[in-house]
Amino acid sequence: MARLLVVDDESSIRLLYSQELADAGYDVVTAGNAAEAVAQLEGGEFDLVVLDIKLKNESGLDLLQKIVKERHEMPVILCTAFSCYKDDFSAWLADGYVVKSSDLQELKEEIRKVLAKKSR
Amino acid sequence: MEFACCWTKKELAPEECPNIAEGEEELYSVYRRRVVEKCIDCPLFANDLLRFKESGHPLSEIFSIVVSEFLDQKSQLQSLGGFLTSKTREIKFLHELSLVLQTSVDLDEVLSVAMTAITAGKGFGMNRAFLLMTDKERQALCGYLGVGPRTMEEAWHIWEDVNRSNLTLRDMARLFQKNKLSSEKVKFNDILERLSVPLRDQQHVFNRALRERKPILVENAFSNPDIDPALAQLLGVDSFLIMPLISRHRRIGLILADNCITRKPITNQDLQSMETFAFPVAFALERASLYERLQVEIDKLTVANIKLKEQQELIVKMEKMALVGRITSSIAHSIRNPLMIIGGFARSLLKNMEQDDSKRDYLETIVHEAKQLEGVLEEVLSYSESLYPALDTWDINQLISGVRDELAGQLAQRGVTCVLELAPELPKVSIDYRKIAYCIKTIITSSLETITGEGEIVIRTWRDDGVVAVKISDNGTPLSPEMVETLTTPFMVTQNLGTGAGLPLCKTILEKHGSPFIIESSPEGGTQYIIRLPIKEGM
Repeated sequence: MARLLVVDDESSIRLLYSQELADAGYDVVTAGNAAEAVAQLEGGEFDLVVLDIKLKNESGLDLLQKIVKERHEMPVILCTAFSCYKDDFSAWLADGYVVKSSDLQELKEEIRKVLAKKSR
Repeated sequence: MEFACCWTKKELAPEECPNIAEGEEELYSVYRRRVVEKCIDCPLFANDLLRFKESGHPLSEIFSIVVSEFLDQKSQLQSLGGFLTSKTREIKFLHELSLVLQTSVDLDEVLSVAMTAITAGKGFGMNRAFLLMTDKERQALCGYLGVGPRTMEEAWHIWEDVNRSNLTLRDMARLFQKNKLSSEKVKFNDILERLSVPLRDQQHVFNRALRERKPILVENAFSNPDIDPALAQLLGVDSFLIMPLISRHRRIGLILADNCITRKPITNQDLQSMETFAFPVAFALERASLYERLQVEIDKLTVANIKLKEQQELIVKMEKMALVGRITSSIAHSIRNPLMIIGGFARSLLKNMEQDDSKRDYLETIVHEAKQLEGVLEEVLSYSESLYPALDTWDINQLISGVRDELAGQLAQRGVTCVLELAPELPKVSIDYRKIAYCIKTIITSSLETITGEGEIVIRTWRDDGVVAVKISDNGTPLSPEMVETLTTPFMVTQNLGTGAGLPLCKTILEKHGSPFIIESSPEGGTQYIIRLPIKEGM
């Protein structure tokens, strides 16, 4: 079972993601800020990170750079309310980019694709 | 004693004296003037004087001395009068010349006046003149303009034309400027090109004239050890005049003049007259060229001012729009998260609900409405984002200069010079300034890595078939084909930012701008990077 780390500062969203992604067959761990996320990554094995860009007082893009620098192989999907970051080249480091929606189908599809690419 | 001449008569009848011409009739009755003006030069009077001398009269000896002295004085007075007339004419000419030179700020007019003055018969009357100007950038005296006939036949035509008209110097110069200036510039092109002399060639007679600030009259040019035989050959004359043009301490240039057609010797008198003329010409040339440069600067400034005003207006407009955009975007984003939570949980609940549950309708409505609202939000957001687009029209030359200035410290530290060869008046390109600046910066820093010791990076821009092309070339160690391959492999997440990921990222950025990214060995050694940014239509 693939293990996912979901990073989002909104607890309701973490809850929604955990529930939906668990239903989709993933083992989901959540983090509410960058420090928690780093601690989780250091403490266990993960197959993919779903990362929000606007974290409280922090930038998800900084965390993305840190993850890419320290864990070359770790796939990251940015999941954000903003579609404008698609053009920001610091966001191009990520493997996927999904705009937040109440319909999680697109996110699930993106996770499936990135994981499939990774296992190839 | 009988005398042959009529000088004894107080009154004369017409035709009695052969020396009185038409219009001088009053001399028939004005005795004193007739004697002084006519009789004294008359051969008949001279005969009478001789006979008087032979008569042995005691006064005859003295009378002869007095008459001969009178004749001497008269001839001296006449030659002084002639000299005075010629000097008056010269002063009048110089006055006319300086008046024109003082009032003109048009370089072509000053040139026309100066060159006409040297070659016109009523001026210094030289056959031919060349003007050489100091070119600061090339550090040389360069042939600029030649005036005069090239052949005997042409000379006759010109002189005939000049003789037929009775024009003032200013009019002649105007005619010259209007009809001939541009053709004369071309006519002597072959000679002018070969007349150029580097300023550092201290031995050359041109530079000597400038250094000594004095005109030089060159004689026996073909056998003169001070004259380069090639120069004598080029001019084809044995004697010519070199007149330095110096204004205050600036070496403006010099004028070469000769009599290549008439071969008339150039006198010291010519040299002196020309010397008087040199300073106002030099001064006028300097002033006119300064004025011309000033005019260019003023024009540039005017254009820049207009541009600035347009930009300011645009900024104000954009600020207003951006504010609207920011407010809209902020509201929309704060709605998006709760909306997603509401809709998301409604979907979750719906998924696990029995098909015949009576509350299913409510949840379906929530899901449907949330979906609808998300659609509206998306529309609002894409509109507000379009209010401050990342893409805008920019002057690529300005961008490149800006990046070069930004990296000036780093370049200087490495002993690398960065030369810009930017084509003027390039059309604008539609780009994301920040990203393209990042690319240029990355390429320059990558180039720097391959240069050991002192080196050079050249950035050239030009317009080429619907695109603005940018070429950055260095003289560092050329990249191997494998390295080029690695550098142009599409951007991969496994590469670290700032450690070699720069160039692949540039490739991705440039491709998104519709530009290829070519990295190849440059013919001069080293590597060249070529970018081709599409020109925005209507720009």
